[in-house]
Amino acid sequence: MPFTAKSGKFNASIKTVTVGTGDKAITLGGENVLPFYTFDAPIENAPKVGIEITDFGMENEPECVKKYYEGCTTLADIAKKAASFEGVDFLCFRMEGGDPNGANKSTEELMAALKEVAEAVDCPLVVAGSKNAEKDAELLSKAAEAVQGKNAIILAAREENYKTVGAAAGLAYNQIVGAESSVDINLAKQLNVLLTQLGVNASSIAMNVGTAAAGYGYEYVASTMQRVKAAALSQNDTQLQMPIITPVASEVWGVKEAVTTEADMPEWGCQERRGVDMEVQTAAADLACGSNAVILKHPTSVATISKMIKELV
Amino acid sequence: MAKFITIGERLSTTAPAVNKAFTERDPEPILKRAKQQLDAGATYLDVNIGPAESDGEDLMKWAVQLLQSEFDNVPLALDTSNKKAIEAGISVYNRSKGKPIVNSADAAGRIENIDLAAANDAIVIALCNGEGIAKDNDERMGYCQMLLERGLEHGMEAEDLWFDPLFLVVKGMQDKQMQILECIKMFSDMGLNSTGGLSNNSNGMPKHIRPIMDSAMVAMAMMQGLTSAIVNPNDLRLMETIKSCDILKNNTLYADSYLEL
Repeated sequence: MPFTAKSGKFNASIKTVTVGTGDKAITLGGENVLPFYTFDAPIENAPKVGIEITDFGMENEPECVKKYYEGCTTLADIAKKAASFEGVDFLCFRMEGGDPNGANKSTEELMAALKEVAEAVDCPLVVAGSKNAEKDAELLSKAAEAVQGKNAIILAAREENYKTVGAAAGLAYNQIVGAESSVDINLAKQLNVLLTQLGVNASSIAMNVGTAAAGYGYEYVASTMQRVKAAALSQNDTQLQMPIITPVASEVWGVKEAVTTEADMPEWGCQERRGVDMEVQTAAADLACGSNAVILKHPTSVATISKMIKELV
Repeated sequence: MAKFITIGERLSTTAPAVNKAFTERDPEPILKRAKQQLDAGATYLDVNIGPAESDGEDLMKWAVQLLQSEFDNVPLALDTSNKKAIEAGISVYNRSKGKPIVNSADAAGRIENIDLAAANDAIVIALCNGEGIAKDNDERMGYCQMLLERGLEHGMEAEDLWFDPLFLVVKGMQDKQMQILECIKMFSDMGLNSTGGLSNNSNGMPKHIRPIMDSAMVAMAMMQGLTSAIVNPNDLRLMETIKSCDILKNNTLYADSYLEL
């Protein structure tokens, strides 16, 4: 009997979300197959790669990242440079300095920084908060207003602040609402339900279902993403069909493998190599588990992951 | 496993208001009942136009077009003993939200409805019953085999035959209830889809009892592998039970708002 291959194409698909405007706008999602299963059906919108900068400019960056931004004096310079690296599809501006337990910068100061960045580049924009839910309610709401018309992803609304962030980003200023749950499939779904009940268009939501650096509880991230994609595609769960965006840089560049200098740990070898390896491995795993976009920091990681995507899709 | 499929039963000529609306081609009461059922979470709607011997073809076409144009091509079960009316309904049916269901074939006088479903690429409800009520599961499974083979011979996929064990009324046939549930398990073990008029079990019971009995029955039947049922979706207790069983069976992913979905 001849072997007839059965297509693993699903009758359901991930919703498409367009980020940015004009020629450089990108589209996330749309696939009706498992990640990279192009042999089952074509994947129209390949996963996208973003590069992350923060309001601290190069102040807190490791030497191996700083050297790529030599000559940049302002945030605008840094943003332009970041957007110019090979493989960059979008720029992520993280307002790290807003954290009340850190620099605790004022909302006004951060909005000025955000506007400087937003005006400097024409690529799609992701605006990430300080990781403090209370501060982010204010920061991200203001950010949604500050980048009006940019069709940016506001990263992210959480269980604690989804009403404020969702209303500002999704309803008042027509941005895309990031919905963040920390490795909790039930909450991932619930947050999408709550946001849509609030009135946010289901096609204006992108999920961050959790993130970790490889080796730091990563198996939970992997299984969460896989379960979300399985529900979205095989069970046609419309409340989980939003594309997934995963911040990688902010996790990876905080673990010892990436931050310990070669002087402190000579037997570990080159720090840059280690950091890039961690970032590439984590991002590749995220994409294989179903992320539609990843956010990275090192230009070599961006170029490597971008090449990987091009060769697989 | 796929989510449990509910077929809303409230568009039936057995309800005088619906009968009158069908006869007079009055859209308003039909659309109102359809909307109530869809809002409550019905996937399919059953369109029972009765025997409709004189004008069945015209009536079924009218009903299919009315419902599908108003409710985004809602999938329908075409329910009448008039075969020509079913064919007429399918001829104007839009499949974008699901194949039409032929309701129904049995192992006696209505076996040709299997052929009709096969010829029209439809789903068919295959009632495992001949003349009179089957005496045991040997008899039911004999009919099941017969209906399945007939469908396959005519080129159907097994998944498009939804086997109905024929739910029986508790008041009078209490001793048969476990038989029905065991029959569902046999369908399920064969990998077959199943459905049925679940609320038959509570026929003749006081109104406030019926949702309780129907909910208990659907939970036990879903445990046995029932994949669909013809129900009153406006029975909140029943629908909440179905949604909860879908969670326990891992057919849908849990979220705190699952009852609102």
